Amino acid sequence: MSALAFDRVHGERLVKLYGRTRALAGVDVAFAAGEVTVVEGPNGSGKSTLLHLLALTAKPTDGVLRFGKLDATKDARAIRRHLGVLAHASMLYPDLSGRENVRLYAALFGVSDPKARADALFDRFGIGPFGDRPVRTYSRGQLQRVALARALVADPTLLLLDEPSTGLDVAGVERLVEVVKAERDRGAIVVLVTHDGELSGKVGDRRVALRNGKVVEA
Amino acid sequence: MKELWRGARLVAAKDLRIEARTKEITVTTAFFAVLVVVLSSLAFYLDRNTAKSIAPGVLWVAVVFAGITSVTRSWGREREEDALRGLLLSPIPRASIYFGKLFGNLVFLLAVEVVLVPLVALLFHLELEPLLPTSVLLLLGSFGFVSAGTLFGALSVQTRARDLVLSIVVFPLVTPALLGGVVATRELFAGAPLSEVLGWVQILAAFDLVFLGAGYLLFDALLSD
Repeated sequence: MSALAFDRVHGERLVKLYGRTRALAGVDVAFAAGEVTVVEGPNGSGKSTLLHLLALTAKPTDGVLRFGKLDATKDARAIRRHLGVLAHASMLYPDLSGRENVRLYAALFGVSDPKARADALFDRFGIGPFGDRPVRTYSRGQLQRVALARALVADPTLLLLDEPSTGLDVAGVERLVEVVKAERDRGAIVVLVTHDGELSGKVGDRRVALRNGKVVEA
Repeated sequence: MKELWRGARLVAAKDLRIEARTKEITVTTAFFAVLVVVLSSLAFYLDRNTAKSIAPGVLWVAVVFAGITSVTRSWGREREEDALRGLLLSPIPRASIYFGKLFGNLVFLLAVEVVLVPLVALLFHLELEPLLPTSVLLLLGSFGFVSAGTLFGALSVQTRARDLVLSIVVFPLVTPALLGGVVATRELFAGAPLSEVLGWVQILAAFDLVFLGAGYLLFDALLSD
């Protein structure tokens, strides 16, 4: 279990260019600990780009992005230890079992006892019966549960959720809501990108609206 | 450095575990390579003397096709369910992913070569003596090929024309090393001692070091947006 590594993430004048396309055009954002921020906007507004920057899978063309005192460019590896990302794609290896996948990610994140951590997360999400089958055989809901365990493997300080409710049934969405609330109560910074108004209504504490790469409401 | 090797070990172990379970890469590439050797022996074998000239080309062609198939499929596994993104989100050094994938791909290719070399020797009626030094050449050549293939194979995960990109980039880059491998193998099959092809061995080793260094330095940049 890792303690919270920072209590605030903030970006100033964030610009992201893909060739000549300006995905983000000078965005100022801040995300605080113990808060769920819903990032909204139409397709092409820059939501996914912002999430890529926060996940450190893309670098800003211009601007400053800081995770507490850590700088996104200079301290990327140190920051990654404290990130959890849940997206529509599970990021799991289909030919490994769910348990093997979560153990692998626990080891990659330097968790001291990957086996025990995977077992604890499987208990938390009720992944007993199917967790030892290959991921390829999972239903969407089962996949989501294991992907949640993967995202939370290192008790992330910053939890990024990218359209996490896509394809989930009612029970799956309810479980997702519970997890998001639990993470917020733990003190994590939660950023949720979704078109699902019902989900954002249930868990969102604050909303940031993007349009054409700019913040139009915060 | 400790983190680098720890991450590489985890990535390689993951690839080997998946392959041990599915046998998808080794079996498909082995069948393909065996088919190349068998068809070539039927089409080109005339007598023992011509076989000595033909066998090196057949052997290396089979290795190259097995290698490119293996690398493509190995990176294809990272594409499914966006698994590569999961690795990129983890705090291990990016070069760990490169070294881990490289090791896995090398093991897959060497496993195929263990079948391939005796088969070529059998079908082309080769002497057994040159096979040991040939194995040294194959090891060096395979290492270089897999180093380059693994580096640029990462590009194939992020592009739609993935097989095309991999072939267009990798084949021209590895051609000098392959030429060295084929010529040195031909000399060995013709009866030359290893000391006579030492120059080619050094070229192959230098090629390996260059691509290993390039992989270490460039892998992160290749995966950046």
